[in-house]
Amino acid sequence: MKYLTIDTTTKVSAIALAEDGKVVAEGFLHTSKTHSERIIPMLDQLFAAAAWTLSQLELIGVVRGPGSFTGIRIGIATAQGLAQVLKLPLAGILSLDALAWAGWGRDEDIVPILDARKNEWYTARYRWTAESASAECLMAPQALSISECLEQLKELKQRICFIGDAAGKAKQEIEAALGDRAIVLPDYLSLPRGAYAAQEVWRRWQEIGAGEKVEPFYIRFSEAEVNWAKKERARKGENHE
Amino acid sequence: MTVSQEKQITILGIETSCDETSAAVLVDGVNLRSHIISSQIVTHQKYGGVVPEIASREHSLHIRPVVEQALAEASVGFKDLSAIAVTYGPGLVGSLLVGVSGAKAMAYAAGIPLLGINHLEGHIYANFLEHQDLEFPLLALLVSGGHTHLIVFKDHGRYEVLGYTRDDAAGEALDKVARALGLGYPGGPQIQKAAQDGNEQAFKFPRAMLEPGSLDFSFSGMKSAVLNALNSARMRGETLNVPDLAASFQQAVVDVLVHKALLALQQTGVKTLLLAGGVAANRLLRESLEYELSRQKVRLVYPSPVFCTDNGAMIAAAGYYHFLAGDAAPWTLNAVPGLNLKSL
Ligand SMILES: [Zn+2]
Repeated sequence: MKYLTIDTTTKVSAIALAEDGKVVAEGFLHTSKTHSERIIPMLDQLFAAAAWTLSQLELIGVVRGPGSFTGIRIGIATAQGLAQVLKLPLAGILSLDALAWAGWGRDEDIVPILDARKNEWYTARYRWTAESASAECLMAPQALSISECLEQLKELKQRICFIGDAAGKAKQEIEAALGDRAIVLPDYLSLPRGAYAAQEVWRRWQEIGAGEKVEPFYIRFSEAEVNWAKKERARKGENHE
Repeated sequence: MTVSQEKQITILGIETSCDETSAAVLVDGVNLRSHIISSQIVTHQKYGGVVPEIASREHSLHIRPVVEQALAEASVGFKDLSAIAVTYGPGLVGSLLVGVSGAKAMAYAAGIPLLGINHLEGHIYANFLEHQDLEFPLLALLVSGGHTHLIVFKDHGRYEVLGYTRDDAAGEALDKVARALGLGYPGGPQIQKAAQDGNEQAFKFPRAMLEPGSLDFSFSGMKSAVLNALNSARMRGETLNVPDLAASFQQAVVDVLVHKALLALQQTGVKTLLLAGGVAANRLLRESLEYELSRQKVRLVYPSPVFCTDNGAMIAAAGYYHFLAGDAAPWTLNAVPGLNLKSL
């Protein structure tokens, strides 16, 4: 079964053409251009290079977050637009689940960290076991402040392997907190890749067996919603007094 | 692109620049086969205005069903389309990107041209949907929440901006005053409603005409005058009559718009005025222009209310002329939030 995957949840545009879980062609762009400018030309070049046609596709997988809000929407709108015209099923996966594949088979706990701005990370924790076909999720995806995340990991006795676009930048901070219990993978291994998404999409497809409706997974509410809820709580609090 | 006479030209238009997700199927520039608008007004109301991040989130959820419904109601599939037209600016960048990304993927997968449309041009082309007999040159007065422009059209795609607002757009000033008067959002229709029971001569607000002969606009002084009147009344412990304030302010805005439109007609000698944009639905503006222009033997044309606010039909209408001109967008098309009007 031939499929395409799209990941635009970080500054990297990552796409892959794959067949039955095996990557056939991969596109990776980490340049100053925007996803909007890069993604269709990249797709077009990849199809040409792989000598594939759009009509051969049977599935489209897309990373639906967490990550950049705008990036999430560009990826989903692109995947949906293609699927709508080509009448193909969609499969949606999470960015952190995809990144867990970068630490395949390692003994350490795998902790993907994505830059969530405001001194926070989108993060989760996974563990590979000998018999598992995928990583077990030990902590569900969430947005955590960097200090809080490192505090929590300090409590654990395991060694931790950090992956993701925030890893390189935070290397010193991580090592200061966790010492030699931390391994920080370099960018070329730990940035989002089409290959990782292709693995996770294939796993997801075995699980769902049919197309699914794909919606963004932001984790966070918009600032306006948060502020409004705060004001509402304050207003109700005043009324009680 | 060469166009045969027999084959129909079918354009799917997509609009997501602000708070409406809209799609329409237009055949040969005039035959509107479907028109779907999913409005977010209710969602944004509690915030007193459009919240960009929330608007983008809503577009992301609605674009697929809106396009599906537009195609279904028109009884066409992607294979029947000649091109897909999409707004790429000006507007909210996150909102624009949902439409641009979706339209691009659809056009690429369908193997048809993508047409990048300027939202302001779309507003003006709304007039061509219902009037097939328009002859160039044309003068357009575009009045919306984000824009106040006077534009002269020599031909399709060939236009020149004669004047624009130096501060607030007319619609923006209406929104801000409506909020200050506690009338809610969107401001234009609320002011119009409140003004019905008011006396438009109760308050004297300044009408900024700028230097002699200028076709530019300025609405911030007028808006500040309302806010100052409210503030000083509050300090004195008085309350002002809201319908009177609304009617007087609306009259001041309309006076400036009409004055500048007349001046532009005089300077250019153009005999047809197109009204466009959300504020084009304002009754006082239409009636005042109607009255003034009939005395000067100038024809006034404006779209039905549904084509005045943001909609996909106007984008398809502009797209039709871009298609005829062979003006397809590259796959690198990006959203341009501050896009200006410039000729093809
Ligand atoms: Zn508009």
